[in-house]
Amino acid sequence: MNLRTPRPRPLAARLTRMNLLVSGSVLVIAALAFFTYDLLSFRRDLIRNLDAEAQIIGENTVSALLFNDPQSAAATLKGLEGAPDVLSATLVTPDGNVFARYGSDSVVEVESHVLAPSEMNHLWSSGTHVLVARHVILDGNSIGVVYISARLGELGQRARRYVLIAGIIWIFCMGAALIISSFSRRMIAQPVIALADTARRVSRDQDYSVRASIPADNSEIAVLIDAFNTMLTQIQERDAALNRARNELEARVEERTAELQTANRELEAFSYTVAHDLRNPLSAISAISFLLMETYENSGDAVLQSGVKNLQTTTTSMGMLIDNLLNFARASTAALKSTPVNLSTIAREVASDLAASNQDRDVTFSIGEVPPVMADAGLMRIVLQNLLGNAWKYTSQHPKACIEFGAKILPIAGQAGERLVYFVRDDGAGFDPVRSGQLFQPFKRLHGNVDFPGTGIGLATVQRILARHGGTIWAEGAVEKGATFYFTVN
Amino acid sequence: MPPPTQFDVQAVYLFDFAKFVRWPAGREHDTLTFCIAGERRYAESLARIVEGEHIGERPLSARIIERPENVSGCDVLFISDAAKDRLDEFLAASARRPMLTVSDIPAFLERGGMIKFLPVGNRIRFSVDLRSVSQGGISLSSELLKVAVSVNGKPAGGGGQ
Repeated sequence: MNLRTPRPRPLAARLTRMNLLVSGSVLVIAALAFFTYDLLSFRRDLIRNLDAEAQIIGENTVSALLFNDPQSAAATLKGLEGAPDVLSATLVTPDGNVFARYGSDSVVEVESHVLAPSEMNHLWSSGTHVLVARHVILDGNSIGVVYISARLGELGQRARRYVLIAGIIWIFCMGAALIISSFSRRMIAQPVIALADTARRVSRDQDYSVRASIPADNSEIAVLIDAFNTMLTQIQERDAALNRARNELEARVEERTAELQTANRELEAFSYTVAHDLRNPLSAISAISFLLMETYENSGDAVLQSGVKNLQTTTTSMGMLIDNLLNFARASTAALKSTPVNLSTIAREVASDLAASNQDRDVTFSIGEVPPVMADAGLMRIVLQNLLGNAWKYTSQHPKACIEFGAKILPIAGQAGERLVYFVRDDGAGFDPVRSGQLFQPFKRLHGNVDFPGTGIGLATVQRILARHGGTIWAEGAVEKGATFYFTVN
Repeated sequence: MPPPTQFDVQAVYLFDFAKFVRWPAGREHDTLTFCIAGERRYAESLARIVEGEHIGERPLSARIIERPENVSGCDVLFISDAAKDRLDEFLAASARRPMLTVSDIPAFLERGGMIKFLPVGNRIRFSVDLRSVSQGGISLSSELLKVAVSVNGKPAGGGGQ
């Protein structure tokens, strides 16, 4: 995801919404308050105006009342035409007769509203109409009463106009609030959004070197971002420390491995030397035991003969052990001389050697033809000698046996693709598959030495030779169900 | 109570006229005197009306005068029909004095009077001659002029309150 692509900014939107909500509700409340005040004051002003008009009318109709001139009074009342709310005006003489009248008002009947002499003026109002009465005074005496009735109908119209004006102001204010909130967004939301971006980048890229920029003000946001940056620094330092420790550890492991390898090589060289040096005295012992055998064959001393025979067997066994040890050592250290090798040919030669070693056994060898492989011919012979020799050995308890060598194409375990795999199969004693891991460890044996004599070093040698070629070996089998050894060379 | 006579109505009018007259300064506390020339019943009627009354702060009195020489001290002079033979003498005596002259004699205004009663239908109305009023040094409220049947001559100064 590209960092520059615009993302929804819920925080900024929320701030804007909040600003609009606050300013909007403030406006609505203020408008309501103003409207209520205006309605009240409008009503008050209307009544005050009506009363003032009544007073003016009264002062201007004094002479008309005194000199009994209704036309003049009517002309004065007619002046109320200019007042839009006034429905009617009536001038009443003290004895209750209508002296002059302007307009008509079916709602308010003047006659039913009598102004007491003690009152200067009076107001009657219903929901929609208001009636004002006022004495006409001359030299402290009432010479008549002016009634003016008006409708409050303009209030509704006023309310509508008010709502319209408030609406327009509201829209302007919302616009202003939007602009202001974009400023406040820059001040509040922007740092938080930048912080969120940084946090996202850190968690996505595992990049702890980035830092969120700290706004100049001393707000809590600045403190938060600073703390976040400090945290990143600490994580970085911890990472660096961890890396250093790991590198040190790796270096130490490599060092130790190198030391171990050196020691191992020295040990192998030593055992090779020992084995090699043991061979000459052993050859001498073997030769001497052969001479003793020749010499005392017909002596009739059974104890001596059995002792010499035992000596000969032990010497042969020791020779085999030394040979194996030398093979094992060579498998690790000898230089590889890769040539095209025909494993089938070697297998046939080894099989015929085995068959010749004990002609009493009934063993069928089935040697398949396999393609030539680039390998060290001497080491490959050791491999096949060990594998076929094992098969020969572990079928020895069966009167009839079959030993097979061949190759087949198998899929590579856990991967796509196929490879050529060689196998050696027998139908002998087999092994416990649970312990198959120990098969290729030096001197580990799954069978007792009495049933199947051996040095415990053959399969370890085989594995080492194949490993040096870049190949591998594994085994399948079950007790008394035979064993199959699979291997690849490279 | 007997129905009001023509005298009674005219007497009330006289009283009311006085309320719309602006007198020269300096007399705010003096007694305001109504003088009736010729008709005794008028004087009696008026005396009843003004009894104990005030206009502004001026107490009121009413008296009858027989001869034009006695007009000094009058503030309102009513010349009744009974004195029409001596009208010119009364007018000459009151001329250029701050004295409101009222009468119901025909051609009163033409001969130098200020306010003349005239019957209109069954009501009593009046006409005003502003020239005579301003010559006398008094002025009439526009309120009064508003209800006059006719007003002759332009006011010499602004109309009084």
